[in-house]
Amino acid sequence: MPADPLEIRGLTVAYGEVTALAEVDLNVAPGEVLALLGPSGSGKSTLLHTVAGFHPPRAGEVWLNGRCVSCATSSVPPERRELAMVFQNYALWPHLTALDTVSYPARRRGEKRAHARAQAQRILERLNIGHLAERHPAELSGGEQQRVGLARALAREASLYLFDEPTAHLDTHVRGVFLEELVTRQRDTGAAAVYAAHDAEESLGLADRVALLAAGRVIQVGTPQQVYDEPVSQLAAQLTGPSSVLTTTDGGELLVRPEWARLGGDRSARIGDVFFRGPHSDYLLDTTQGRVLLREPGPPRQRRGDEVTWSLRHSWPLRVRPGSGSDAEQRCRTGVKVPVVDDPHVPHGVGT
Amino acid sequence: MALAAITVVLVPLFVLARTVWVEGGADLVEILTSAGLVTAVRNTFVLAVAVTVLAVPLGTLIALALRRPDLPGRSFWRVAVLLPVLVPDFVLGYSWLRAYGRAGFTDDVFGLHWLGVQGALGVTVVVTVNAVPLVYLITAVGLAARAEPAMERAARVSGAGVLTVLRTITLPLIRPATATAAVLVFVLTLGTFAIPQVMGSPAGFTTISTRIYSNLARSSDPLAFVEAVTLALLLVVIAVIVVAPADALLGPRLRVRRVASTDPSSASGGRTASRWTVLAGIAGYCLLAVGLPLLALLATAVTKAVGLPPTPPNWTLDNFTLIITSRSAEALTRSLGLAACAASILVLLGGLVAALERRRSGRSVATLVTLTLVLPGSTLALGMIIAYGRWIGGTLTIILLAYIAKLWAVAHRPISGALDRLPPDELHASRISGAGPLTTIRTVVLRPLAPALLAAWLVCFLTALHEVTMSSLLYGPGSETLAVVVLNSAELGQVGATSALSVVITLVLLVPALAFWFVIRRLNRAPNHGTAVTSTDRAPELAHAG
Repeated sequence: MPADPLEIRGLTVAYGEVTALAEVDLNVAPGEVLALLGPSGSGKSTLLHTVAGFHPPRAGEVWLNGRCVSCATSSVPPERRELAMVFQNYALWPHLTALDTVSYPARRRGEKRAHARAQAQRILERLNIGHLAERHPAELSGGEQQRVGLARALAREASLYLFDEPTAHLDTHVRGVFLEELVTRQRDTGAAAVYAAHDAEESLGLADRVALLAAGRVIQVGTPQQVYDEPVSQLAAQLTGPSSVLTTTDGGELLVRPEWARLGGDRSARIGDVFFRGPHSDYLLDTTQGRVLLREPGPPRQRRGDEVTWSLRHSWPLRVRPGSGSDAEQRCRTGVKVPVVDDPHVPHGVGT
Repeated sequence: MALAAITVVLVPLFVLARTVWVEGGADLVEILTSAGLVTAVRNTFVLAVAVTVLAVPLGTLIALALRRPDLPGRSFWRVAVLLPVLVPDFVLGYSWLRAYGRAGFTDDVFGLHWLGVQGALGVTVVVTVNAVPLVYLITAVGLAARAEPAMERAARVSGAGVLTVLRTITLPLIRPATATAAVLVFVLTLGTFAIPQVMGSPAGFTTISTRIYSNLARSSDPLAFVEAVTLALLLVVIAVIVVAPADALLGPRLRVRRVASTDPSSASGGRTASRWTVLAGIAGYCLLAVGLPLLALLATAVTKAVGLPPTPPNWTLDNFTLIITSRSAEALTRSLGLAACAASILVLLGGLVAALERRRSGRSVATLVTLTLVLPGSTLALGMIIAYGRWIGGTLTIILLAYIAKLWAVAHRPISGALDRLPPDELHASRISGAGPLTTIRTVVLRPLAPALLAAWLVCFLTALHEVTMSSLLYGPGSETLAVVVLNSAELGQVGATSALSVVITLVLLVPALAFWFVIRRLNRAPNHGTAVTSTDRAPELAHAG
């Protein structure tokens, strides 16, 4: 069995007294895209920077393609880890043109200048920025700069790509286009990738698996659907998308995604607020069990203050009873018995 | 504002040119080809080139070395390498003589002395040591502003080793800073006076500045005076010939727009073994270049007589009691008053020009002010004498005027830089919240500007206290500054007294410098917790600005 492009074992990283990452275990299979999803300051960048070799870990190991690049005894410098990285702030060199920037990795491999440049030009063409080859970063827009950053990473011809929030500084419309480009190119190469982001929609959309990171710890790893439908905690639920929590009669907590609830049914509530979101509308309901965010297609049909009925099509038990264990399996098992679930035929944890 | 600039800069230059034209007349060719003048010009030029070639790589190397986050005692060494800035240049020169020269410290203790220290070689080395902190400061700012860690990380991850990153990324990124440093060091060396005077003149090594000084001392000879004026103009001509193309070539790149953080740190440290080598290099340099000379100076000051080993039985305070005269006490008071006065006026003027600069009409004044940076002190002083000597010659007023002209740019630069860093939206936010222009200045501009204003004041104050090039030409009876007293004492060969005076003037400088330094650091620290966040937010703008 071939070794994984990336394997992290018990990684602990600290900046002085502050622990940035605590005992992280992760692996990325060949061709897989792993999204690191977490709020800012959760350690996403630190994780990528440690994998790249910019920051020495305090404990733990980093393995790349079956080679230990960061062990207790030895550490491989960044330039010999054979990784490609796209940076949050683009990290383009102001004194080099786009073409020189993109031919830089090939030059470092020892290729002839002309050959490296021809190669770089082809990559730029593929990203539809061939005409910008002679420009310096200052003469490029944010989206164009990040394309050059992506082109430089592609030129590295690595088996693992690290994306450090590459869209964080891009406008929303540019972000979508760039993201599409990034995913396509990365899939073309067949390489594995780690993608750090704080945007749930973005990372759920592009990843094969998602690792949720909070305060330097991995709190959950799973497919995008798993982490969305079956979050291990309220924090995990908040990281992966909009959600509300209902308190059950026996003191348990139920997670409700906006589309798991519908207007009309046997429960009554008052509309606390209504938000028009374009393709759909969000209703904030005041119920006896707490506030519920509910999503319906189309423009708003109710107004604030209206008394309405609603129903719950699906829910996910976060906690059954105060004080009962946090074992996910137990939650699954006992969750079925929770009386508030309207439709017992819909099994818990299966998508709507 | 423009009037002030014209009075202190343009008029003196104009009268110099007129004097050469009118008084030189027929003798001009003879003056220009005299052996003494040609030697002085050649020496000055060679000295400036040599110092630039030595100081720029050395200062850059130190800036790069002090960027390593893993360097033991990094914050201490950062201050230590700046120490020569606090020590007046003539004190540094004199302390080198006391340390390495004949009958100096190493001679007394180890029987080692270095004859060349008095003469061209010694002058070159000490002027270099004096210039290194300037290069270090400029390149360190360049590193902080342009060579962000991400730039180097991107290169490392692209497959470049530490040295390749240095060659292909870091050094090209800070090239504007190194170029600026080179131009400044060259021009400042052209006009340097105290070190060649103290170390070179006894060995017959003359530069343009020292020749102007000795020519004026022989004031009875009218031809010597015309020669001095000619030399003063030649100095400006050489400076302009070098600076003008450099400025045109580097143009806007010389102005570093925004500093992300003044705390440069490298992307990732190299191997741990090498950091001790780096540390040894920096420590050795500081010790040999500054530490040992200053110790030798102190030893001479407390030793009974020259030639005695500086051991406790030979210690005495006689040298200090000797120099506590009414003359030196008056000179000290005068120096302090003059420096404080000049610094206060300069901060005010600097602030005004920096504010005016933001309007189109004020640009020319700002350019003129920047030009004074390259105007050698000897030239300026001579111009002052001819233009205003008739009325205020030999008084403190003319010295004050000369200080203002010389240091205007020094005050203007940090204030202008701080204004540049002030985000315009912060001003807009204040105005939209209902504050008038003056209230805005008082409530949101002054506080972030305070460190820069204080720093400008401190730099002007210290430089004015150091100043000897112009003071030694302009002083008259009753307007001697302490620096002039030290210089005269050195020329008279009073070793013990000169050393004691040098120690006193260094201490006088050190006390306010350290006090201010702490205040500025505290001021900088308080609001900078906020700026740490904004600086990362501004990083993309920096990438654009490149």
